Amino acid sequence: MMSIPLPSLEFDPHVVWRFLFNSVILEGARTTIIVAILAQALGVVLGVASALMRMSKNPLLNIPANFYVWFFRGTPLLVQLLFWFNGVPELFGGNPDITRQLTPFRVAVFGLGVNEGAYMTEIVRAGIESVEAGQMDAAKSLGMTYGKAMRRIILPQALRVVLPPTGNEFISMLKNSSLCLVISLVELLNAARSIYVTNLKVLELLAVASIWYLVMTTVFSILQAELEARLAVGMRERPPTLFGRMTEAFGPSRARFRD
Amino acid sequence: MDMHGIVPMIRCEDVHKRFGRLEVLRGITFDVAKGEVVVMAGPSGSGKSTLLRCINHLERVNQGRIYVDGQPVGYREVKGKFVERREREVARMRASIGMVFQRFNLFPHLTALGNVIDAPIHVRKMSRRQAQEAGRAMLGKVGLGDKFDAYPAQLSGGQQQRVAIARALAMEPKVMLFDEPTSALDPELVGEVLEVMKSLAREGMTMIVVTHEMGFAREVADRAMLIDEGVIVEEGPPAQFFNNPRHERTKLFLSKIL
Repeated sequence: MMSIPLPSLEFDPHVVWRFLFNSVILEGARTTIIVAILAQALGVVLGVASALMRMSKNPLLNIPANFYVWFFRGTPLLVQLLFWFNGVPELFGGNPDITRQLTPFRVAVFGLGVNEGAYMTEIVRAGIESVEAGQMDAAKSLGMTYGKAMRRIILPQALRVVLPPTGNEFISMLKNSSLCLVISLVELLNAARSIYVTNLKVLELLAVASIWYLVMTTVFSILQAELEARLAVGMRERPPTLFGRMTEAFGPSRARFRD
Repeated sequence: MDMHGIVPMIRCEDVHKRFGRLEVLRGITFDVAKGEVVVMAGPSGSGKSTLLRCINHLERVNQGRIYVDGQPVGYREVKGKFVERREREVARMRASIGMVFQRFNLFPHLTALGNVIDAPIHVRKMSRRQAQEAGRAMLGKVGLGDKFDAYPAQLSGGQQQRVAIARALAMEPKVMLFDEPTSALDPELVGEVLEVMKSLAREGMTMIVVTHEMGFAREVADRAMLIDEGVIVEEGPPAQFFNNPRHERTKLFLSKIL
């Protein structure tokens, strides 16, 4: 590592290097990634369902969906996490069976996912509305039901619009999962914290955590760009995909997107 | 049933359609026999497109009945009353009513062949292999035997519209509805689409064509119709319709477009 003289801050780069691959830190990073992926997946599922409900003319569907978005976007994520973790057991009079079920990991995935679903609702809705109305007409005229037309024709087209903001959401999710510190989930930040409360190398361990956050967000940004390039199917100018360029260089070209 | 005791392929009885306070269709009644080609013309906003959309229940009628091949469209007759059909049944009926749109409405994320075989596979439950075989033949028929793998964005307007026709035909429809199929095309591309439609008419397909292509109407239509302000102003064989229109409004309309 570089040795930058920072005498007044007492920042020791060697400590950063020593803890970068510490097993507690790596385990925390792993938890962060798993929680973020599962919560984002839950958010996407909830977002699609709630977007379709929100766009329905039936008030039994659109009112609950509107309420869901209004409530979970309108209250702090931190409050929601504390509610699921500490508040819900209270609701059940501290029933130990319930409390035991509510592990930090489960509450983290659920709490982050439910919150994310509210944001994904708007993203998915914008995506669906970006698809021309004529597409639904055409699908219906071919004998598709609304549901089939959505799955086969509308949502695949909406995906191209939905993907970039969803990528941003996932990047936020990786970082926001650090809020789960308050429900004693041992994710990346909490892992770093657990070390610095004993060795007092606060700055160095925050640097370790930050480095891993940057690594994760960088890797997922690259994956996102790759996915977007692949979805650009049917466009006049397809941006080259990373894998496309690799296979072009190293072997026979991959089969194209199938019908 | 008409006076010959034959069920018409399409029958509209006193069809009314309102959008809010605007009455777009104000009592449309006509029959189309099996194999007949009917051309509808009329100023924009006259209700022609809305009528086509009512025929496959993309729009609900407010009053009147529409029958395709003897079946009430979108409704079921239960003891003399009409009850709206379930979505699945409406979809099944639509599957045998082909529709071609002004703006093609091809699925941009699928190839030409993908557009043609998607509904046969996922609606008709045809095997992929069978659908591909039929789809290739269908694209060949509309002169696109070399464009199976092209995406819509890589095709010209005329080619896109021919894919759209092939897509509708792949469902083996009983009737075909054409909603201004050439109005969005550059003039030099109109001919190739009309050729496909002409050969389809010659094969005996029952067709309603909303168009201002009067050359096409003269050549292949069995009947021409002028719709204005939501009613049929005049209808008759093309020779009479074009050469000796009875109504002033028809004369005026023809003088503008010819």
